[in-house]
Amino acid sequence: MTPRGVEAARRTEAPWVRTLEAADGVWAVFLQARRRDAHVHVGDVHAPDAEMALVLAKENYARRDPCVSLWVVPARAIRGTASDAADMFEPATDKSYRFGGSYRQQQRVYRGGYSAGPTEDDR
Amino acid sequence: MTVPASSVALGDPAVRAAFREWLLRIADDELAIGHRHAEWTGVGPDIESDVAMSSIAQEELGHARLLYEQIAGEAPGAVDRLAFGRPPSEFRNAVLLEQPNQGWEFSITRLALYEAFESVRFGLLARSGQEPVAALAATLAREERYHGLFAATWLERLAGASVDAGGRVQAALDVAWPYALGFFETTDADGVLLRAGLVSDSAERQRDVWEAAVRPLLERCALTPPVAEPRLGGRRGVHTPALGEMHAAMTEVWASDPEARW
Repeated sequence: MTPRGVEAARRTEAPWVRTLEAADGVWAVFLQARRRDAHVHVGDVHAPDAEMALVLAKENYARRDPCVSLWVVPARAIRGTASDAADMFEPATDKSYRFGGSYRQQQRVYRGGYSAGPTEDDR
Repeated sequence: MTVPASSVALGDPAVRAAFREWLLRIADDELAIGHRHAEWTGVGPDIESDVAMSSIAQEELGHARLLYEQIAGEAPGAVDRLAFGRPPSEFRNAVLLEQPNQGWEFSITRLALYEAFESVRFGLLARSGQEPVAALAATLAREERYHGLFAATWLERLAGASVDAGGRVQAALDVAWPYALGFFETTDADGVLLRAGLVSDSAERQRDVWEAAVRPLLERCALTPPVAEPRLGGRRGVHTPALGEMHAAMTEVWASDPEARW
């Protein structure tokens, strides 16, 4: 095993890291509804390769709602935090000063629809 | 106000009848293959492909509806009467499309051959100068692009999966190919449309364009089209027994009460 391989194995063995339990040929599907939106995980497909996974994902996840782009990723390639490690996301003290929920301007910039004046959303 | 040349052409009853016949062929093709593909719903080889094929079937039936509307108008029940109220002998679909599914490999092979043809035909219709049908053809062609992609992706993987699988796809192609050549069967209408300038390519030319698209795909799949005479008849209403059986199933509900509002 190469030093890099040892490092990778050791890291995935950390108790708070999980590899997704997925069968062979399961692809996670990520859908982008509009340009500049994030790709969001919408489900999985079974497929022998990426091209087939994209072809199937198109009709299974993008036939109704808006979609401009799809990603597929082998589900086994995904590393995540373990569900019993959820408490590391729990704030111990009041962090409401970090919330940015009312920064609509930022959303407009992300979407490329930047405008200087107030919009319908703001009224 | 200037009247487009093509509208002048449609003033000729013979041209109008020929154009109607062409639209009816296209609509009947979509209805027939849409119905056959709908038969895969619930029994596809895997859930994802089942959903995809069902969605494709729904789109084909949707295309048929829009095209029938161009012929029959939007009066209540007119489209259903045209789709379901005719006997099989009045259908103008190519005989390939009424054949039973037989197996997934046959449906995929047929879809690949058909979509390449659709691409040629919708291109011609989009350039016919006949609005609103021409614009409709350009729109429908967009959906057909995915149908072709789905068929080609499946065909490549099926044909290359194993020696047995390749043999089965080749056998499906041997059956489908002569029927597919029936896409290009002509009647008097084809000459009328060519002379009136509504269709820019002869049937021979259309077949050349189609083969130029289909043969590279088949070669990639190590498949060889058989040397065979075209199986004709559909464009003249001469069908195989498969259409009678399909027609009975397809029209059963409508025929139980043609006046019902669904």
